[in-house]
Amino acid sequence: MQLISLRNVSKVYPNGVAALRGVELEISKGEFTFLVGPSGAGKSTLLRLLFREEVPTSGVVMVNGHDVGRMRRKQIPYLRRQIGVVFQDFRLLPQRTVADNIAFALRVTEVHPREIKRRVAQVLELVGLTERATAVPSQLSGGEQQRVALARAMVGHPLVLLADEPTGNLDPVNASEMMKTLLEINHLGTTVVMATHAAHLVDRARQRVVAMEDGQIRRDELAASYSEGVVR
Amino acid sequence: MKPRTWAFCLSEANQNLLRNPVLAIASITTTAVSLLVLGVFLLLSANVNQITTNIESQVAVRAFFDKSTTQAQETAALSTVRGWKDVRSAHVVTAKQALAQLKREFGDQGKVLNSLGSANPLEDSLSVTAKAPVDVAPLAKALGKLTGVVRVSYQSEVVNRLFNLINGIRVVGLGVGVLLLLGALLVINNAIRLGIITRRREIAIMRLVGATESLVHWPFILEGLILGLIGSVIAAGLAWWGYSALYTSAARSLPFLPLVAPTPYASDIAGVLVVLGVLLGAVGFRLSVRRLARV
Repeated sequence: MQLISLRNVSKVYPNGVAALRGVELEISKGEFTFLVGPSGAGKSTLLRLLFREEVPTSGVVMVNGHDVGRMRRKQIPYLRRQIGVVFQDFRLLPQRTVADNIAFALRVTEVHPREIKRRVAQVLELVGLTERATAVPSQLSGGEQQRVALARAMVGHPLVLLADEPTGNLDPVNASEMMKTLLEINHLGTTVVMATHAAHLVDRARQRVVAMEDGQIRRDELAASYSEGVVR
Repeated sequence: MKPRTWAFCLSEANQNLLRNPVLAIASITTTAVSLLVLGVFLLLSANVNQITTNIESQVAVRAFFDKSTTQAQETAALSTVRGWKDVRSAHVVTAKQALAQLKREFGDQGKVLNSLGSANPLEDSLSVTAKAPVDVAPLAKALGKLTGVVRVSYQSEVVNRLFNLINGIRVVGLGVGVLLLLGALLVINNAIRLGIITRRREIAIMRLVGATESLVHWPFILEGLILGLIGSVIAAGLAWWGYSALYTSAARSLPFLPLVAPTPYASDIAGVLVVLGVLLGAVGFRLSVRRLARV
């Protein structure tokens, strides 16, 4: 069974913009997938459908055996606990420390405090921020903030990590560090879907590339590069 | 939800209140003032009620006998009336007694009545008091049917006017109280809305990481309840304390004024105010739910 599958998915926003048109996509457990393409191609919309931030206008979106588009509202939180999400703009809570920001995800899902402590320490180790646990976001660099966001996404042990332009606000050094961590997370068994414009990161990673344009999938290749036919 | 999750919601609610202290204080103040006004009117109307009941039950119904009625007939009528179950007391007032009473009431000018000489234009009558104010009208009707009775009178006009006045006061008081409550509701609602707006980032993240909707809602529900509760406890405390003080001093200086005792009644009103305050908080939240859904 595929972890993620989209069958003939279309999404038309209320303002009439057709963000996705008849998208077919399957992603297996443990895969690393890049979603590439110009702005407005539908990458973000596709990700938003996966964690039920949006519902498809037509077609079926399946995640881990659940029909996400027709899921009842009450079930949405339980879907999201199986999905980690990282955004370009980090979305951290400014008044809370690094450790608190990460623990927040577990506190609102009623995990035992002892378990929270253990897991927060674990993910801080994973993203290399153990030393910064008591800092607040404003004291961190962009790269560090994105690591906190990543740690928060990972602390619930999700089946899949969705990353929407995670390196969009980072300098090249931090961007490639972030990329390294994402690949490591994938290596440890988490499925990763990453929407990006960063051609050099895609080219270097040699992973599956799904190229989108105008709400449709134009190319879907394994161990591929950002642009078609380019081998660097 | 688990106890520590409740603790989490409570601390979130508290942070909200502390983050917008001006609005929190405004909410508490308007709630307290509006509930206090309502409480004062409730206490006032309870007391006016008690006083009128007293006055009304003291009103005697007079049944006047025909001049030709014999004393035996009057005594028979008296014992009949005493047998009725809605009668508190009854006695015969002879024409002579009535004239004497009239003279007393006229005071100095009572002398003019001396010109009547031995003639007495007044009739013998039965003076009857009812057990309860509601019994007065039917009692008057029944008395009119007794043999020898030509005419029945009681001060229904005075009592009716008093009643109208009291009802007027009650309607106005209730109206003012309800308007103030609506004002308090708006202020609480605004406090919660502002909390939602200032915390929209946090709410979005809570939803993103899989918090249930009830966990998203409860901090705001608690915020409303806390605001309503604090406001109403202040109002209830002031109403109870103020009324107790009034009661004690009235009992000392105005012993003839039968005020309602504070312990069963004023404490009940205090309880009602607290319940209303909490309800106010809950409704204040309920009005913001749609705003919360749009975050």
